[in-house]
Amino acid sequence: MSLAYVPHASSQGRLRDVYDAMLARPLPPVYRPAHGGAPGIIVAHSLDAELIPKVFGTSSTLNGAGPLAWPERELVNATTSQLNQCLY
Amino acid sequence: MSCHAEFLRVALGNDETLPRAVLHGDPTQLDLAPRQRALIELVQLVTTAPWSLSREHRVRWHVLDDGDLVHAVALSAYFGHLNRIADAVAVPLDYAVAIAAPPIDHARTPFARAPRVVTTAAILELAHRPATAAAIAAWRDYVLAKPEPLLPSMRAQIAAWNEGWLGAATPTDGDGELYRLVERVALAPWQLDDDAFAPLRAHGWSEAALFDACATASSTNAWMRIDVALRALAQ
Repeated sequence: MSLAYVPHASSQGRLRDVYDAMLARPLPPVYRPAHGGAPGIIVAHSLDAELIPKVFGTSSTLNGAGPLAWPERELVNATTSQLNQCLY
Repeated sequence: MSCHAEFLRVALGNDETLPRAVLHGDPTQLDLAPRQRALIELVQLVTTAPWSLSREHRVRWHVLDDGDLVHAVALSAYFGHLNRIADAVAVPLDYAVAIAAPPIDHARTPFARAPRVVTTAAILELAHRPATAAAIAAWRDYVLAKPEPLLPSMRAQIAAWNEGWLGAATPTDGDGELYRLVERVALAPWQLDDDAFAPLRAHGWSEAALFDACATASSTNAWMRIDVALRALAQ
């Protein structure tokens, strides 16, 4: 069994607030899963709710900014994820 | 890996050629733009052997300026953290994707350990991206200082192991079940299966403590990977 996680729908308290804050961020539609909840990579951090804004605050400075253009950033992200054999 | 290949496809105007090659082939065999080729080569080294970067690479990748290099190094290392947490939790893919990923090769050889310490001072620094540097500092302060569930001294030990594996410092000895879990997080995240967690669970470790160990391992790995890669580009 891999580590446990708390889906958005069953979250409560501080974790629910953090999930909702993550969802309220401006994001292009392609990054919003069809289920309407927090994306799985955020949910993967659910066992430490306070860690989520730290990690994804860093994301906004890297994925939401240049100088690399959007396709270049996604090339970096996809290549890294392939090399690490990421499941997600 | 599937979701960012999908995001790459969309970012390229729904062109599947490059994302398909990233997932299933060798993208360097494509007729790539020089910046794309340089980014792929850079990411391959940042991910597998950041200590091996050098001044010669900066010359070879002259189509990437200093700002591009710092951005790519930080972004790739950051994604190394996300990849490791996604594998530890085995969170299901929740995006529709046009290109399915290949099956995970759980038997693949772990990443190499640095054969030496990178001693050069950095020419390129994360401070060139003040917002990123501030965000990572806040992330680091939180992870290393929180009082539980692991003791801060245990997190410091996890950081020290990562320093040695990445060439940031002389390797420190390790043993025991926590060491073996952290080793998988850092060097073979595709092996974060049930067996990776079973020994510590058998000792009564909570899910929160196991997550703390994984998150500390992946976070410190990302920060030190940035540090080593940027210093190695000066050697």
